[in-house]
Amino acid sequence: MRAASASFAAACLVGAAATCAHAEPIPTLPPYTAAYQPQGVDERGLWMEFDEFERTLRDSKAVINDPALMAYLRGVVCRTVGSSRCETVRIYVVRDASFNASMAPNGMMVIHSGLLLRSRNEAELAAVLGHEFAHFELRHSLAQFKRRRTAGDIVAWVGVAAVGAYAYGGANTYSVIRNAQSVQTAVIGGLYANGREQERQADLLSMAYLKASPYEPHCFADLWNRQMNEADATARGRKQRSTRYDRVAFFATHPTSLDRATYLRAIASETGKAGDEGQVSFMTAMTAWRPEFLDDQLKLNDFEGTDFLLGELAGAQWTPDLLYARGELYRGRGNPRDLVSAIGFYREALSGNATFAEAYRGIGLAQMRNHDPAGVDALKRYLSLKPDASDRAMISMLVQ
Amino acid sequence: MKPKFSNAPLMIALAFSTPAFASNTLVTSGTGVAVAKSPLTVVPDREWNKMGARPGRRSETWTIDGDGLNDLTFYGGIESNSTLFREVSKRLKPLPRYSSTMLLTDIPALFENSYSIALDTQLMKIDQVEPTTFLGQKGVRFMYSFSLKGEDVRRKGEASGAIISGKLYLISFEAPELFYFDRDVAGYRNIVAAAKLGLPQS
Repeated sequence: MRAASASFAAACLVGAAATCAHAEPIPTLPPYTAAYQPQGVDERGLWMEFDEFERTLRDSKAVINDPALMAYLRGVVCRTVGSSRCETVRIYVVRDASFNASMAPNGMMVIHSGLLLRSRNEAELAAVLGHEFAHFELRHSLAQFKRRRTAGDIVAWVGVAAVGAYAYGGANTYSVIRNAQSVQTAVIGGLYANGREQERQADLLSMAYLKASPYEPHCFADLWNRQMNEADATARGRKQRSTRYDRVAFFATHPTSLDRATYLRAIASETGKAGDEGQVSFMTAMTAWRPEFLDDQLKLNDFEGTDFLLGELAGAQWTPDLLYARGELYRGRGNPRDLVSAIGFYREALSGNATFAEAYRGIGLAQMRNHDPAGVDALKRYLSLKPDASDRAMISMLVQ
Repeated sequence: MKPKFSNAPLMIALAFSTPAFASNTLVTSGTGVAVAKSPLTVVPDREWNKMGARPGRRSETWTIDGDGLNDLTFYGGIESNSTLFREVSKRLKPLPRYSSTMLLTDIPALFENSYSIALDTQLMKIDQVEPTTFLGQKGVRFMYSFSLKGEDVRRKGEASGAIISGKLYLISFEAPELFYFDRDVAGYRNIVAAAKLGLPQS
């Protein structure tokens, strides 16, 4: 399973850091074989391991089983890569607040809920899913698996030669060992460079899908830009250095986000195509789940990153659910000034939805923490709006 | 299969404990014992094993059958601006900090967020929150449940806590929902009911 996991990780969307940023011509869509079966021992073995992994994942409690959401996501994949390509894909949404998605060599697509939260429209989601599908169609996991094995062999045998030289001595011992180390370093470096090349190929093929789809190709770069800004905000909040402009790290499996956003935007412009963003359909599909995903995000203890994310999701229009989440975020940090801000956000949420029970709860608790007796009234209002609240007994004690 | 630990604080302690291989010791039944290097004193009504690895400076964990099967964790006076237990990664996954200005309703949220981050799971949920009397003070009692990533075991937990002189005192118990939780939760509740702040009395 280890080799398979490693190649699976290589097929993931988000990585460390970096490469070139030229507007390259996007490829024409390659011919597609439906119901492709694995060829050769390596590929059959890889598929077998992922089949096993998929059986486990299917029964995992982290997987969201919502038929409406699944049908919607299948629709997005099919509109992105075309109906013949999407038929065999199995989609799993995993409750994971990180921004990621991946596709295994056997056609299993895994979407993290954090990606669904961060996408602002269907076109952005389509771009990421298209990228993952491109890894699958280009059979990147298999190629990387083979390269990894070959590299492992070379590193091991060169190591044996170096140990032999050391053990038996001789005039050239030092240079043999140095050369062995150079070879090993070059081979390992080549492996990661190949991973970055695969990411670029997948980006290019993804743009080819988008060009043929009804979606707007510029959205991919928009998503990357926001992702970089969010990472910057997180770093700022934690008093760390932003890694946004880092050069290619030796072990980086992905191009830097900045490079990626730049070349994706250039390619999108070259397609000369304007498509549909699909914002309304996306927001409708996420209605039931967004409060849950926001709740997951709030638990991450990432004040700056979450505040930035909420602002980006809101754009020009703060909706009650986002205002409530922002209130929860500020109340969670809990400085006296944060509590005042939080009460403001809850109140704004209530002006959009007067029966938003949890917003009254937030106001009440924020006021109580700031020693404001008015909190009692807000908590009473919460209880009257939500008589079956799971924390009813606790809140009742506070209002006595 | 990789070893999994149900207990977030202990899992972290096992990775970073000092001394690294502190031994486990037997806690005898019926004798008052001060826990978590604090004035928090309990009288167990059965034998427990005290884990040598502690989740944090102000906490310790006991078990009956082994870590992951039944974990009783004492938090003996967490100070303001401290985390509940040792952080997995201060840089990448900083834990939320307890504040003495928190309301009792903020304690379950602090606990939930700390677990979610340390265990890297979005499957940690507080199921019920209710008032209680803990260490003779107004306290909060809450039930929670969680599963680890890539594991089918559903775990249930219960905790009681109170803020006394600005410090957080908390006793939690968690075990697999199947069999262990129901079998051992009564022993935990007895410990909570008899817990005191003060020197041990035999």
